[in-house]
Amino acid sequence: MARDLDYEPSAPKTIKKSTGTRIFEAVAYILLILGSVICVLPFIIIVSGSFTDNATILTKGYSLLPRDFTFSAYQTIFKSPKDILQAYKMNFYYTIVGTGLGLMMITLTGYVISRKEFKYRNTVSFLIYFTSIFGGGMIPWYLMYANVLGLKGSTLAIWFPALMSPFLVILMRTFIVGAVPDAITESAKIDGAGHFTIFCRIVLPVLKPGLATVGLFLALGYWNDWYRSSMFSTNSSTWQLQFYLYDLLNATTAMKQMASNVSMKTADLPTESVKLAMAVVATGPVLLFYPFVQRFFVSGITVGAVKG
Amino acid sequence: MKNKWISGVSALFLVLLLPFFNWIRVVNLVDLFSRIGVTKDMAKDLLTGYNLYNLLSFVQYANQGVLGLFAMVLLILAVAAIYFNVAFIIRSLLRLKKGKGELSLLSAGKCAFLFQFLTAIATIVFVVFSNVHFKMTGFLPGVPVILSAVISLLAYIYIKVLEKKERDKYREHGLWVELKKNWVLFVMLIPTFVYFMINNYLPMLGVYFAFTSFNFRDGLWSSPFTGFKNFEFLIKADLFRLTKNTVLYNVVFIGVGNVLQILFAILVSRVTVKWFKKTSQTLMFMPYFVSFVILKVIVYNVFEYQYGLINNMVTSFGGERIDFYNNPSYWPFLITFFYLWKNIGYGMVVYLATIMGIDNEIYEAARVDGANDLQQIWYITLPHIKPTFIILLLYALGSIMKGQFELFYQLIGNNGVLFNATDIFDTYVYRITMTQPLSIGLGTAAGLYQSLFGFLIIVLVNYVVKKRNPEYALF
Repeated sequence: MARDLDYEPSAPKTIKKSTGTRIFEAVAYILLILGSVICVLPFIIIVSGSFTDNATILTKGYSLLPRDFTFSAYQTIFKSPKDILQAYKMNFYYTIVGTGLGLMMITLTGYVISRKEFKYRNTVSFLIYFTSIFGGGMIPWYLMYANVLGLKGSTLAIWFPALMSPFLVILMRTFIVGAVPDAITESAKIDGAGHFTIFCRIVLPVLKPGLATVGLFLALGYWNDWYRSSMFSTNSSTWQLQFYLYDLLNATTAMKQMASNVSMKTADLPTESVKLAMAVVATGPVLLFYPFVQRFFVSGITVGAVKG
Repeated sequence: MKNKWISGVSALFLVLLLPFFNWIRVVNLVDLFSRIGVTKDMAKDLLTGYNLYNLLSFVQYANQGVLGLFAMVLLILAVAAIYFNVAFIIRSLLRLKKGKGELSLLSAGKCAFLFQFLTAIATIVFVVFSNVHFKMTGFLPGVPVILSAVISLLAYIYIKVLEKKERDKYREHGLWVELKKNWVLFVMLIPTFVYFMINNYLPMLGVYFAFTSFNFRDGLWSSPFTGFKNFEFLIKADLFRLTKNTVLYNVVFIGVGNVLQILFAILVSRVTVKWFKKTSQTLMFMPYFVSFVILKVIVYNVFEYQYGLINNMVTSFGGERIDFYNNPSYWPFLITFFYLWKNIGYGMVVYLATIMGIDNEIYEAARVDGANDLQQIWYITLPHIKPTFIILLLYALGSIMKGQFELFYQLIGNNGVLFNATDIFDTYVYRITMTQPLSIGLGTAAGLYQSLFGFLIIVLVNYVVKKRNPEYALF
């Protein structure tokens, strides 16, 4: 048995590679390196810009490697960190509450529509999927939260609308169907287990990759969202981090135009390098978190049809 | 079906729905008109009786926005009732059978009679509501309403009895039994139900705004009903440009995106060095984690006129600066590029998961038979990822009328110079929502058109796919 586990079903290394294969592999390496470089390049521009002296950016423009290396941009941010810390705090709040609740609801729904004995599983799946192909549009949606429920300015309006998405529900169902064979739940049922027991004791423990993947999608959505703040926030203390950043960028551009018109002092504005440092600070947590969940993530995003 | 005659009830109902039967009669004309403020020149457009299809014209000519939503719901119910009744007649005549016995046929009949009944009841509620609203008896239900309410109720009860017999025969059960048996599952669905109700289904009622001209005095639900005016305005102004932009961008995104995702997935799967495989995957997935606000920063820093990286490089080689932010012709390419930049890694992983699932022995066998790498990819890998491709394609087609709002809005923002080449439905509606509260009707109309168009496309495509190969169909 132990030998079987060690056995690797990869191609035997002794077979000599043909020239065709060698050329093919060379092309593959080149293309992949090219693709990776293009994907990473913008990150390097941002990071190196954030470490560059602002005066250098203004005279010589952006570059790939930091010129006149300095921490001053980061020092400026953390000199008066009140605003950005508040935005950070709110973002963590939205992300944690939204991801937690959303994950719970999505998993429960995924479980229900994966049950073969549930007569209406396809109806429910379709009703959920239907919301992604037809809807009232942005304005009725906005009015629902702002006027009917009166949630304008409330933090609820920021995390509630993104709790679930049809895509994630269907993804979760695919995970559950793949991870839990019918035979196991059947035998559990014969032993007298109810749905709740089956869900907690049998399904949840084997669902780690699914929970990690869906959780990451949810958390990413919450962390990177700015849109709901732009629609529902009335007070800057409830802003999402990205909207704080967005507002800052817009304010800078607007002020700059005004400044050039009436020749006013621009010394108080966030400089170019400070903006970049902000971008680094805002993205940091996501990129730090990613390697830990990547393992689950890559192992299985499999998409399935709406019908089960 | 043994009781074929029951589809005759559907036929009778369809006859009653014909436009020359008045479902709602307007009585006490003088009193009513003076009460709701109808002037003489308005009165000449008004009738003394209305069928279900021209009820909205009363709302429009009498300037009674309050009744608009009601009339709209009635019309929708009537259309749904016609659809289900016609379907029922066709099915019982053609003897289409699916599943066990006549159960599906019976439930089609149940659906038809239910909607028939609902239409009649809603008409009565409409009459009662408007009478209460105007504090007088100005409206009366017509004879066809009472008639169809009674017969549809009787037919419904009858078919319910038939269904019960049929169910006993096949050991099937209905909603009630299911609820008792699996109540835990229903409880688990409650939060989901609440969420989708609030977030998706209830706002659908709001499409009514598309047919009104909003003003603050009358409010959302009582603003004057204007029929298709908003749509006419859209067609004249922006509809063609918006449709073209939205669809074209999405077609390019889907087409080029999938090709590149498949290409890179195959390349990664063929690479043998493990750390390289992992690293390239990680690096290419990274852009997916960047928010669109950050993307805006990146794009701005690369393409800005004064300090931007590209202009910096161009001038250092002695070239002219390029003014990207004032020239629309660059942006379709830039937007496409950054869409791909952000999404290739993600799609690549989806395809890679499928490729990893292919049995290695198939490749071994092909290698023994002398197939080279390209042949292996063409004859083994590609056919295996076809199901994934089709499903992804169908999901993408479902949202072909939805733009990548955040991408477009962050890259372009309110830069009007670039709108011609970059405005899509979502950015258009967003601008209306945020800046022109009086154009609610127009914005909703654009959203409704977008939604309906996209819905029709996916239903059609799914139908075709289902016909050719039911396994690949999405629903």
